[in-house]
Amino acid sequence: MKRLADPRKRKGISYAKWGYLFIAPFFIVYGLFTLVPQVMTIYNSFFENYREGLKQVGPNFVGLDNYIKLFTPDKNGNIDILKYAWNTLVLWVGGAVPQILVALLLAVFFTSYRLNIKGQQFFKTVIYMPNLIMASAFSMLFFTLFSNSGPVNQLLTQMGWIDQPIEFFAQKITVRGLICLMNFLLWFGNTTILLMAGIMGIDQNLFEAANIDGASSLQVFFKVTLPLLMPILVYTVITAMIGGIQMFDVPQVLTNGAGTPNRTSTTLVMYLNNYLKTSKNYGMSGAISVVIFIITGLLSMVVYRSLTRKDD
Amino acid sequence: MKKALALLLAVFMIVGMFAGCGSSEAPETTAAPQETEAATPVETEPVVEESTEGKVFNIYAWNEEFKGFFEKYYTVPEGITVNWIINPNADGVYQDKLDEALLNQESAAADDKVDLFLAEADYILKYTDSEFTQDVEALGVTDFSNTYEYTVQAASDSNGVVKGVSFQCCPSALIYRRSIAKDVLGTDDPAEVQAQLDSWDKFNAVAEQAGAKGYLMTASEAATYRVFSNNVTSPWVDEAGNLQIDANIQAWMGQAKEFSEKGYTKNCDIWSDDCTVEMFADGKAMCYFGPAWYFNFSMGNAQDAEKGCYGDWAICQGPQAHFWGGTWLLAATGSDNPTMIADIMNTFINDEDVCSKLVENEAQFSNNQAVNAKYAEDPAFGNEFLGGQNDVALFVELAKNIKFENQTIYDQLLNEGLQSNWREYCQGTVTEEEAMSNFYKYINEKYPSITTP
Amino acid sequence: MKKSNSADSRVAKARLTAARALVYAFLIFLTVLCLFSFYMLFINATRSNADLQGGFRLFPSDYFFKNLYNAWTDASINIPRGMLNSFIIAASSALLSTYFSALTAYGIHAYHFRLKKLAFSFIMAVMVIPQQVSATGFYQLCVKFGLTNSYIPLIVPSIASPVVFFYMKQYMESVLPMEIVEAARVDGSNEFSTFNKIILPMLKPAMAVQMIFAFVASWNNYFMPALLLDKAEMKTVPIMIAQLRAADYSKFDMGKVYMFILLAILPVVIVYICLSKYIIKGVTAGSVKG
Repeated sequence: MKRLADPRKRKGISYAKWGYLFIAPFFIVYGLFTLVPQVMTIYNSFFENYREGLKQVGPNFVGLDNYIKLFTPDKNGNIDILKYAWNTLVLWVGGAVPQILVALLLAVFFTSYRLNIKGQQFFKTVIYMPNLIMASAFSMLFFTLFSNSGPVNQLLTQMGWIDQPIEFFAQKITVRGLICLMNFLLWFGNTTILLMAGIMGIDQNLFEAANIDGASSLQVFFKVTLPLLMPILVYTVITAMIGGIQMFDVPQVLTNGAGTPNRTSTTLVMYLNNYLKTSKNYGMSGAISVVIFIITGLLSMVVYRSLTRKDD
Repeated sequence: MKKALALLLAVFMIVGMFAGCGSSEAPETTAAPQETEAATPVETEPVVEESTEGKVFNIYAWNEEFKGFFEKYYTVPEGITVNWIINPNADGVYQDKLDEALLNQESAAADDKVDLFLAEADYILKYTDSEFTQDVEALGVTDFSNTYEYTVQAASDSNGVVKGVSFQCCPSALIYRRSIAKDVLGTDDPAEVQAQLDSWDKFNAVAEQAGAKGYLMTASEAATYRVFSNNVTSPWVDEAGNLQIDANIQAWMGQAKEFSEKGYTKNCDIWSDDCTVEMFADGKAMCYFGPAWYFNFSMGNAQDAEKGCYGDWAICQGPQAHFWGGTWLLAATGSDNPTMIADIMNTFINDEDVCSKLVENEAQFSNNQAVNAKYAEDPAFGNEFLGGQNDVALFVELAKNIKFENQTIYDQLLNEGLQSNWREYCQGTVTEEEAMSNFYKYINEKYPSITTP
Repeated sequence: MKKSNSADSRVAKARLTAARALVYAFLIFLTVLCLFSFYMLFINATRSNADLQGGFRLFPSDYFFKNLYNAWTDASINIPRGMLNSFIIAASSALLSTYFSALTAYGIHAYHFRLKKLAFSFIMAVMVIPQQVSATGFYQLCVKFGLTNSYIPLIVPSIASPVVFFYMKQYMESVLPMEIVEAARVDGSNEFSTFNKIILPMLKPAMAVQMIFAFVASWNNYFMPALLLDKAEMKTVPIMIAQLRAADYSKFDMGKVYMFILLAILPVVIVYICLSKYIIKGVTAGSVKG
């Protein structure tokens, strides 16, 4: 049966059943534990369904009302969800772009024969460590650091750079900056390790061959490393995007859920969480998650297609 | 290579075993109690001779405070197992779990039913004003002659049916820095200071004097909020579901903005470092508000050995009586241990011995006026942190004037939402209109049924 | 363009030294940024609760052992037990999620079957659904099936981890030549053992990476375990920390909380250091050679 290794003939010796067998556990478990709540999410978005205290209101079918409400402008003509989508985008770009760039740089440094970095294990451990702290504890620390009477302000005052403490948590730019910085610190080590594992998986003979041919570091990077790393990079970009669009805990904890100032650091998922937490408003939160789902899905598809277009 | 491979495989085998064990074992253990219940309905059918009540008593709580008192001072009837279900309140887990249990109370097996649960003033109405709690007077808790009025009000539903009791009382006072009061008011004597601060007009006038001398009247603009909101004359939401902002709340909004603009206060949360840093000896804040637990346990900076100002504090009633905190015990509907519920409640409000021990050993201000009075009259009693002032004596007086009226199930979040959104206006980052619009949005998200302007 | 070889190599050497210096400077800068929060955490763990209310401090105080003692002997929490519970859950879900994700990814990567495209698109689609919304539904489902106070809903669902699957799939695309599979088939190897004996070892770096991530995510997970577990002996570390922070005023002790947070990080660091050893070079090459 398993005689010849002719790729074209593979279809003939149907291995299809193995495919089904291998993916079965995933789909069974997914179906049992996750699918129902997720389908319910979409289903709920067409209903009025919330709790007031302990009293359940609904579910009453309301058609597209929840969606209409989401996209109805307020008195000043602003559509809230668009504002929060914009906030999310700004916060994501601010954190994710440096994160991926720095991670790529570090991954190349760490795997470079030429640079031959000493103390790699130390650096690799250290850059990953922020990810080990719980986000809430991390935010608590940042809160103390940047409060009006905190050490950052004290230091700046002592150096004579400012006479009034900078109100880090009352200004759009500083709040957003801190959120980006925290997200960067939390995740760049993580991304570095991912990319490093990707580079290390590449056949070392290719690098050796490139070196023998006298290629420069830059050439090796763009001609060998990057193309072969592409699938992993696509993964990194897409998951960073999903993580960005679903950004929640850092701004939530840092601004105490208020998204201050003037809701300019309220992200889409914080908005969703506002509806979900007290009133268990499955109708509205369902509608928001469907919107998030569509945005993320579209973006992921575009990124996936554009980065992997050459093959198939 | 081979070695590593073998190791990896071995690891996966172990996982496989783990997963195998897990899935075959755990369901049995979790399902077991329910099955036995269904098979042998000992609890539901009254075939037991001595007592028809359940053998398992379930108490829901979010920390171990009451558990400690309960285990020390309450004698559990023989044959009954007390089961503590403790869930942290972070991220709303405690209420989520409790709600789920109460909503499933009817279908739950007798031994799994909630019997007693704890609630804080902030959200107590959600439970008292529902069918999930029961009338404790019918269970035998009838003597409220010694408890403080507001603790009973808080545990009653909108028709006045009492659903539980509190084992503590948390009257809150105006806590002032003696040295600053001397400088600003010319005295640090509690009675004289009180005379100059006993109304909001006087309070605001003193703020101006303090400001003129370079002091802060309060460290946070929200410090006075609780005093105002405890004394509202109309609830947050009227009968038609419209949001209404009480005159007292509006007074706070005006005061907060004025104090911020004139520099009588800082814009910060009451728990923030910016607020507590003013408790140090070189701090500028004259007034804080809080009950005994606040100055005894949360004013660490003032008690700091090097930078603090231990003993430079005193308390008086301030402009209006109010309370802060406290835990109530509520009786769950459908409990199979009604006698024990009543017994516990009576113990913690009417048993003089137990209440005395709460005061003596646990630093509690008990919910028993007779017991508290005993300590208030002790001339030897004084709090060193407050320069030797007898705080219990003041609290005894204060507690009588506290009200718990015009409350709604929305209060906690509406209070929080107003404070955080209004702070932005005080800071000047948004206009008044924007601040209110953000507050209304916040309400619409949290409570779809409230109509906002 | 006429330079002697030695001059050439000298320039190259100087360049390399300069590059190295820059790289080290950059690394040290990032190290400082990353370690600062840990340093603060450590400092805070050496301070008393009263002292902590005074804000920031740069140097350790003398409360370290007192906090350690208080945290360790706190009657309401059992730290070793909590760590063991957290470890069981985190280790099992890390192993399950990586193994089954690799298996699923391999199933889709290596075989051709009718529903292949659909299966892949499905997983990619569900990957982007925000978790916040389905969490409550998941909890209610568990209540209905009597799965509260059980580790099953915290461990078994990790078999279906779309994100880990996606990584494995991408990793295979970048490093897994089909020739190896073909070669194994020639040897008459059964498909399942091909996967276990030949494919898995080649995925070692990817497995190690995702195991670390899955372990950490599970270790720090608070919300779902908190909803599902309320038996004291089953609680995990984050629940215990939350419980410490919910302590009543007279027993509230942030020093203890910071100490516990610090203690809770140690096991994860150890797991990280153990697993990161597997992120090594040349796995592919080694495996092809046999």
